[in-house]
Amino acid sequence: MFTRRDILKAGLAGSAYGLLGPAFRRSAFGDSLPPSPATKPFVVELPIAPLAKSVAPFATRADPGNCVNVDGTTAFHVSGPRTVPTNTEFFLIHERAAPHSFHPSLPPNVIWGYDGMAPGPTFLARSGTPSLVRFVNDLPTNDPVGIGEPISAIHRHGGFQFPEDDGYPLDTFCAGQSRDYFYPNEADDLQEQNEHSTLWYHDHAIDITGMNVYRGLAGFFLNFDRVDSIAGELDTGAAALRLPGRMVTLPSGDQFRQFDVPLVFQDKRFDQNGFLAFDTFDHNGFLGDKFLVNGVVQPFLKVARRKYRFRCLNGSNARNYEFFLSNGQPFVAIATDSHLLEHPVTVKSFRIAPAERVEVIIDFTNTTLGQEIFLVNRLEQTDGRKPDGLVSPGTQILKFVVDRDADDPSRVPDTLRAVTEGPQQLLPKVTVQRTFDFERSDGAWVINGEFFDENRINAKPKRDGAEIWILKSGGGWVHPVHIHLTEFFILSRNGSPPPPLERGRKDTIVIGSDRGDVKILLPLPANFHAVPRPVAGRFVFHCHNIEHEDMRMMAQFEVQP
Amino acid sequence: MTPVATRLAGLLALVAAGCSGRPPEPPPTPPNVVATIREQQLPNIELVTHEGRRVRFYDDLVKGRVVAINFMFATCRNACPESTQHLVEVQHALGDRMGRDVTFLSISLDAERDTPEVLRGYAEAHGAGPGWYFLTGKHDDIELLRHKLGAYELDPVIDADRTQHTGLVILGNEPAGRWKAITALGKPVRIRQAIERTILPVTEWPTGAAVVNEVPYEENERGKEVVTADEVAKLLVRDP
Repeated sequence: MFTRRDILKAGLAGSAYGLLGPAFRRSAFGDSLPPSPATKPFVVELPIAPLAKSVAPFATRADPGNCVNVDGTTAFHVSGPRTVPTNTEFFLIHERAAPHSFHPSLPPNVIWGYDGMAPGPTFLARSGTPSLVRFVNDLPTNDPVGIGEPISAIHRHGGFQFPEDDGYPLDTFCAGQSRDYFYPNEADDLQEQNEHSTLWYHDHAIDITGMNVYRGLAGFFLNFDRVDSIAGELDTGAAALRLPGRMVTLPSGDQFRQFDVPLVFQDKRFDQNGFLAFDTFDHNGFLGDKFLVNGVVQPFLKVARRKYRFRCLNGSNARNYEFFLSNGQPFVAIATDSHLLEHPVTVKSFRIAPAERVEVIIDFTNTTLGQEIFLVNRLEQTDGRKPDGLVSPGTQILKFVVDRDADDPSRVPDTLRAVTEGPQQLLPKVTVQRTFDFERSDGAWVINGEFFDENRINAKPKRDGAEIWILKSGGGWVHPVHIHLTEFFILSRNGSPPPPLERGRKDTIVIGSDRGDVKILLPLPANFHAVPRPVAGRFVFHCHNIEHEDMRMMAQFEVQP
Repeated sequence: MTPVATRLAGLLALVAAGCSGRPPEPPPTPPNVVATIREQQLPNIELVTHEGRRVRFYDDLVKGRVVAINFMFATCRNACPESTQHLVEVQHALGDRMGRDVTFLSISLDAERDTPEVLRGYAEAHGAGPGWYFLTGKHDDIELLRHKLGAYELDPVIDADRTQHTGLVILGNEPAGRWKAITALGKPVRIRQAIERTILPVTEWPTGAAVVNEVPYEENERGKEVVTADEVAKLLVRDP
């Protein structure tokens, strides 16, 4: 009699697998999670998170007010109380459990959110005005849902911040405790080309980042400067780009950012009664079968006949998307990850991997009132390994309903943010090249053959320099690789010039499978200025398929003073 | 049905429900994570310990416990020796917490050859003490369990190679409904710390400086090479 292995050896893997019955295929059971209940799309209006409101300055505490180990030690990075610049804005954010409606036909769920919201409040920061954010962990210690642990480290993704403020995975704080994070809100080395645009903040605690983010701990952190300004399209300054977006005051007195809309895309799964489900036994990358934008399933957004700026963030644990517009209209991409592009790029579609951001302008000017246009994901993905490819017609994720006219003083200039220190200027600084191989190994994932170890340094780049990093992946897996502290230029992808949307500075880059390898140029900034200090210390880099990250597909570099 | 007919049918259904006097359905209650995991992920398969005792996976080994589970087989020469050696070190580090606070379950992927006697020899050879069970059973049952616990490969060809499944330790705190996994091939200290993060309430998790510094600082700049200015200049790939 043939054994299963013999059959597989004979190259009949696919059919033999079927013959052996469903017990061997995880998809037969768990895919332990049955499909989510049906939900009618486009019945909920797109929620937009409120803006984080600053509070009166408070005395900062020592880092951490924190989880205390049995030996009395606390976090790895400890500092404070701090002296912060006098113009610092203070914020107080509570992580807590709160009821949340994902969809009217699903029962209220209990999410974990910053200020009880998913996504959390959106920060609007001005370059040159630092933020001090106290995150208070009010998460429940006896949570019956079983998704997440009430322990936190907060990473401002794409941000230029001190190691102690970077959400290093071991710098955790527990329920009932808090940690103060200082964000300088300055361009790396004060170079205008390095001014940031769309950052996001999310949980980054060791072992359990995937569950905590899935439960709701993520939000936007937007940066503005004199060029890409808060006044936006109404800015009369000569330097202003006047991209779509302006501030308006709501009847409540709260500020609201109009025509500039953050969109976080996430996929989730619900059990038969409509409660949030997660598979803690799936380490390949969790996939949901419901598509959420800003925390609700398939919402709609009423739009005016004018230009809009959409800040798209893939906040999913493992899913990749490729977005199209149902009317065939193109997108004008203006930013990738944290930075505006040098020039806008017109694309029919764009792909976005976990943690990546793509900012696009959609121009509804030439639509008709009452017209409905859908944002469609045509990239199918059925497991954590990689997307399967484009399908037609795909899934409608967000419906735009054109319902009015509005003035449109916004522009999309041909030059957005000039690159003054690009590869040409940085390459002469390079003396070191590093190769990092992201691979599957013995049921988990390794970088250069190693699992993350908390006290192993895998690279020691020098501050005020630049290095070439080659990021590779084998075995048919894609990995969205995220590097903390700084953003990089892509020199080449598979030996060819990078595609148009990979020509700006990025902090997350997909490698593996049909996407292949990349060669990147990683600048190492020299100094922090808001609180003067040379750049130095430990920062991590890792796969942002969060299940892979939690399984230790992570490494760290220590910037040398 | 025409829209009018549909509406009518709906109305009739409502009336019928009203007449039957049935109370409105109570709102659904959130799931109990412990029960969900027990039902969906923890098959109560029959196993035999290296001491020859017949046991049920859920009832006798997992229920009410913190467990560290790995898959192995006695003749495995790939990751198994290292995994087992690491678990032996973790066992020593845990001391009298073994069997009391945590139970190790090493489950054989070679049901044919790994009889209880063979596993007893293996356990003795490695110095496995109280609170550590080596288990064998029916091949199909164990395959089911392996998949349920997440120790599988998506590529069926790789999945058929059992040496690929011996590098994971699946950690569960059954009464708390908390499950995760860690590689068995990292440093044993890291496995022990992850086990402690499974046993202990979050407020007592080892984190921070104590975790980082429990093993000595290490540098491994594997993959680093020095490049010359000429080599670097060639890296700027331009559009043709």
